[in-house]
Amino acid sequence: MVQDVLLNSLFAALQAVTMFALSPLIIGIIRKVKAWFQSRKGSSIWQPYYDLAKLLRKDSTMSKDASWISRATPYIAIASVGVVALMVPFFTTYSLGFVGDLIVVVYLLALFRFFMVLAGMDAGSTFGGMGSSREMMVSSIVEPTMLLAIFTMALITGTTTLSSISYSLAVTGPDLVRPALFLALAAFFISLLAENARVPVDNPATHLELTMIHEGMLLEYSGKQLALMEWASWTKFLLFSAILANVFFPWGIATDLSALGMAVGVIAIIAKVLVIALAVALIESGTSKMRLFRLPNLLTESFTLALLAVMSFYIL
Amino acid sequence: MTQELLTDTINGLAAIVLLTSFFLVANTRMHQLVRTFTLQSLALGLFAFFVAYYTGAEHIYLVAVLTIIIKAIIIPRFLDYTIEKIQVKKEVEPLVGIPLSLLICTGLAFIGYYIAEPVIANGNIITKNCLAISVAVVLIGFYLMASRRKAMSEVVALLVIENGLFLAAISITYGMPLIVELGIFFDVFVTVLIMGVFVFKINRTFETLDTRFMRRLRD
Repeated sequence: MVQDVLLNSLFAALQAVTMFALSPLIIGIIRKVKAWFQSRKGSSIWQPYYDLAKLLRKDSTMSKDASWISRATPYIAIASVGVVALMVPFFTTYSLGFVGDLIVVVYLLALFRFFMVLAGMDAGSTFGGMGSSREMMVSSIVEPTMLLAIFTMALITGTTTLSSISYSLAVTGPDLVRPALFLALAAFFISLLAENARVPVDNPATHLELTMIHEGMLLEYSGKQLALMEWASWTKFLLFSAILANVFFPWGIATDLSALGMAVGVIAIIAKVLVIALAVALIESGTSKMRLFRLPNLLTESFTLALLAVMSFYIL
Repeated sequence: MTQELLTDTINGLAAIVLLTSFFLVANTRMHQLVRTFTLQSLALGLFAFFVAYYTGAEHIYLVAVLTIIIKAIIIPRFLDYTIEKIQVKKEVEPLVGIPLSLLICTGLAFIGYYIAEPVIANGNIITKNCLAISVAVVLIGFYLMASRRKAMSEVVALLVIENGLFLAAISITYGMPLIVELGIFFDVFVTVLIMGVFVFKINRTFETLDTRFMRRLRD
C-alpha cells in the first residue's frame, strides 16, 4: 500500500515536471504552424523558452494601487496548475488520482481563473476590468460544459477519477465506445478553445486591447510575475490537451510499469498532443475571431452537445 | 459485422439525426440550413440501410436508396435553386435567441425521452431506443417552425418533422409496407415542389418572405 502511494507519487511528480517542461514547446509549435499557414517563416519553436528565460531574469513592477491579490495571483496560478498536473494522467495512468477526482481538477482550474479575474480588476486598469468581465461571461457557460463532458466519460466507466477513467478505457478497449463519446469530445474541444483563449473565442496574438479577454487581464503584469502567469496558462493548455487525449481516447497510455509500456505511452501522448495542437493551429488559421456577442451561441451549442452526451448515455 | 458494432452504428446514426436538428436550430443562414438538412437526410438514409442489413428486409433497402436520392439530393437542390432565385440569404433575428432556443430544444429532447420511455421499456427490437430520438426530432421540428419567420426556414422545418416521423416509423416497425413508404415519398416531394412555388409567389406579392406580413391578408 505504502509502496503503491510512493510509486504513484513518483510518477505523478515526473509527469507534472514533464508537462511544465513541454508546455512552452507545444505553444511554440502552434505558433510555428500558424506562421506556415500565413506564409511567414515564424519564430523558432523554442521561442517561448527564450521568452520565459528573459522574463524570469527581469524585475517586475506593480501599480501603486495594486493590493496583495495582484502579488499573490501568479503564485496561486502556478500552484493550482501544478496541483492539477499531479492529478492528470499524462503518459501513465499512475498519478495522484486518489487525492482528488475530476471535480477537484475542474475547480482548481476555476480557482486559477477566479484569481486571475480578480487580479485583472485589482490594478485598476480599464482593459483589465473588461477582460475580467468577459472572462467571467465565457467561463459561466464553459465550466458546466466541461464538467458535463467529463461526466459522460465518468458515467461510461463508472468512476470520477481521471486516471481510473483512462485506465478502464485503455484496458477495455473500443467496446466502451458509444455515440456519447463523440458528442462529449466535441463539447470538450470547444471548451478547450474557450478556456485557453484560443481563436474563435479570443485571439492569443492580439495587440488590440479592445478585443482582449485573456491578455487584458495580464496587461498589468511584468517580469517574473508575467513569466509565471504565462507559464501557468501554457501549462493549462497542455493539461487540457492531456485530459482530452487521456479521457476521450486513452489508447496507448501506459497502464503497467514495463519499460515498453512506458515508452509507448510517452510516444502516444506526444503524438496525441501534437495532433490536438495541429487541430488548434488549423482552426486558428482557418477561422476568424467571433464577435463577443455571438460567443454565447457557440458556447451554448457546446453546452447542448455535452448535455446531449449525458442524455444519450441513458437513452441509447 | 458483429451484432454489437451494428447496434452502435445504428444508434450513432440516430444520434447524428438528433444532432443535426440542433444545428438547424442554431443556424440562421439559408444555404447552411439546407446543407445541414442534407446531412440529416443522408444520416437517415444510412440508418435505414443498416436497419435493412440487420433485418434482411429487402424493401427497406429500396426505402434507404429513395431517402438518399429524394431527400438528400433532389429536395436540397430544389431548395438551393429557390433560394438563389429569390435571393433570400439570412433569417431575420429569430423570435427567441439562439442560446435560449438550444436550451428549449434540449428540454424538448428530454420530453421526447419521457414520452417514449414506456414503449422503450416494453420493446425488444434493437432500434427501440431511436423512438425517443424521433419524437425529439419531431418536437424540435415543430419548435423550429414556430420560432422562425421566413417561409423558407419553415419549409425546412416541415421536412425535419417528416424526417422525425420517418425515423419513428422505421425504428418501431422496421418500416411500413413499401406502397405506404412510396406514397409518403411522393407526398413529400410534391409538397416541397408546391411550397417552393408558394414561397416564390409570397416573395413576389409581399417582396419579403417574412410570414408576419401574411397576417394582413383579408378576403
